[in-house]
Amino acid sequence: MTHLDTVVPDAPTLPRKPRPALFTIATIAAAIALTIVTARSVDFSFGEIIGNLSRKNSVVEGLLNPDWGQIWSRRSRSAFIETLQLAVLGTATGATLALPLALWTTTFGNPNRWIRTVVRSFNNVNRAIPDLLWASLFVASVGIGALSGLLALFFFSLAVTTKLTSDTLDGIDMGPIEAANAAGASLPKMLRTAVVPQILPAYASFVLYNFELNLRASAVLGLVGAGGIGLRIEFFRGRGDWEALWGLVFMFFIVVFVVERLSVTLRRRLV
Amino acid sequence: MIRFEQACVTYPNGVVGMKDLDLTIDDGEFVVIVGLSGAGKSTLIRAINGLVPLTSGRLDVNGRDVTKLNRSGLRELRSGIGMIFQGFNLVDRTTVLKNVLMGRLHEVPTWRTLIGRYPAADIDLAARALQRVEILEKAYSRASDLSGGQRQRVGIARALAQEPAIILADEPVASLDPPTSHVVMRYLQQISRELGITTIVNLHFLDLATAYADRIIGLRDGVLVFDGPGSDADEQVFESIYGRSLTADDTMTKHAAL
Ligand SMILES: Nc1ncnc2c1ncn2[C@@H]1O[C@H](COP(=O)(O)OP(=O)(O)OP(=O)(O)O)[C@@H](O)[C@H]1O
Ligand SMILES: [Mg+2]
Repeated sequence: MTHLDTVVPDAPTLPRKPRPALFTIATIAAAIALTIVTARSVDFSFGEIIGNLSRKNSVVEGLLNPDWGQIWSRRSRSAFIETLQLAVLGTATGATLALPLALWTTTFGNPNRWIRTVVRSFNNVNRAIPDLLWASLFVASVGIGALSGLLALFFFSLAVTTKLTSDTLDGIDMGPIEAANAAGASLPKMLRTAVVPQILPAYASFVLYNFELNLRASAVLGLVGAGGIGLRIEFFRGRGDWEALWGLVFMFFIVVFVVERLSVTLRRRLV
Repeated sequence: MIRFEQACVTYPNGVVGMKDLDLTIDDGEFVVIVGLSGAGKSTLIRAINGLVPLTSGRLDVNGRDVTKLNRSGLRELRSGIGMIFQGFNLVDRTTVLKNVLMGRLHEVPTWRTLIGRYPAADIDLAARALQRVEILEKAYSRASDLSGGQRQRVGIARALAQEPAIILADEPVASLDPPTSHVVMRYLQQISRELGITTIVNLHFLDLATAYADRIIGLRDGVLVFDGPGSDADEQVFESIYGRSLTADDTMTKHAAL
């Protein structure tokens, strides 16, 4: 067998190694500078955090001694069920509508340039509004309760799934679209047979992921009065009943963990 | 019958794809179009089913003036014209049968398409089309699991399922090896003869063109420069179409031998 050093006897000199791009260095430096500046301006200090946590503090005491009984109380259980319902309904409505909405932003799914621009702008605005802001808006206009939470999750899901689905649509194979059009298919028939099969697994996985997000979001939404488990957490916080609060949080943690595991497994099988 | 009269295509960027074309193709003819890359072969084929609109002139296909058709008129026209593509254009993720059923889309009601429940008669037609290209046993395979030659046969079946009067094939064998190319060309030829389907094929290799064409049409810079029976097309004719002497790249056998 011939060794490479017999074929190439002289140790070759590599061309000079390119220096890391100035842009990369500048970006890293800027990121570090930004972190330091912001930390100073919010008076960040490790010492203070540790001091606060180790001082005698009813919140931390509650954490060490959670009230597991809270898990079985009827009112907490129904608050939980409400949270799950919110997450399911919000996902089902928002993510379902996201599919046509994503299709309408593409050139092949919507031949009308003006409608396309309108739908795209709507999506961009929708995406810019965080879920908590939606919830506050609806609590203010519709009132405290689950309906506000549902509306908030609907818009949040619409934004998330539309965005993810649009990105997938950008990368699909245009060949089948051409074939369907050449066979005289109308727009809905073309989309159903040439486009949807290409994105269906990805879309299903986005819906599941959206459900995970909604489950977590639905807990926070309650804090501003939009129903579900968050409302109950907020109730105990107001009373200063930290044992009960932590019991509830632990239970929520377990539910989220289990749902997330299930969802991740399912999603892995999809794609 | 397909009739071009003084037909021109100028693309929005100013490139001329077809210039003053006068051409008549009778029912049941098997026509091969040859020409260099950019000569306007695809433009000609795509004009016939209205994928590329004429910028001037006239084009009649089966008695309809293509330039005057509205959206639904175009769909109607296209439903009677099968198209076969170089890249097959199948939906990889779905079954062969679902791909062939795409050829039935114009006839199937929208609600049935949306829920994916096709009428038995259409499934039967799709099965017959698959049978015709001898690939029926793959009906429930995923399109992505097929070889290139098999996929192009599915492409032919999809076109056949339309029960078309015309089949257009834009370089149908350009992504296939020589033996597979001959298999696909033979299917196209047999189908044209048996069912009397007018067939127009763009081909890259001249030996394939002379082997299968009843009639050869030569294009150069969007202009028709040759029109005659396949037997008339010798080396001189091809050199005049190409405007240069032939090389090994122009014939499949010599090309493959390299
Ligand atoms: N959509 C388009 N927009 C602008 N110019 C185009 C378009 N399609 C084709 N052309 C141009 O028109 C001319 C003819 O193109 P056409 O695709 O018909 O050639 P062809 O003979 O099929 O070539 P090839 O063998 O490479 O497929 C070319 O110069 C091409 O660049
Ligand atoms: Mg071409």
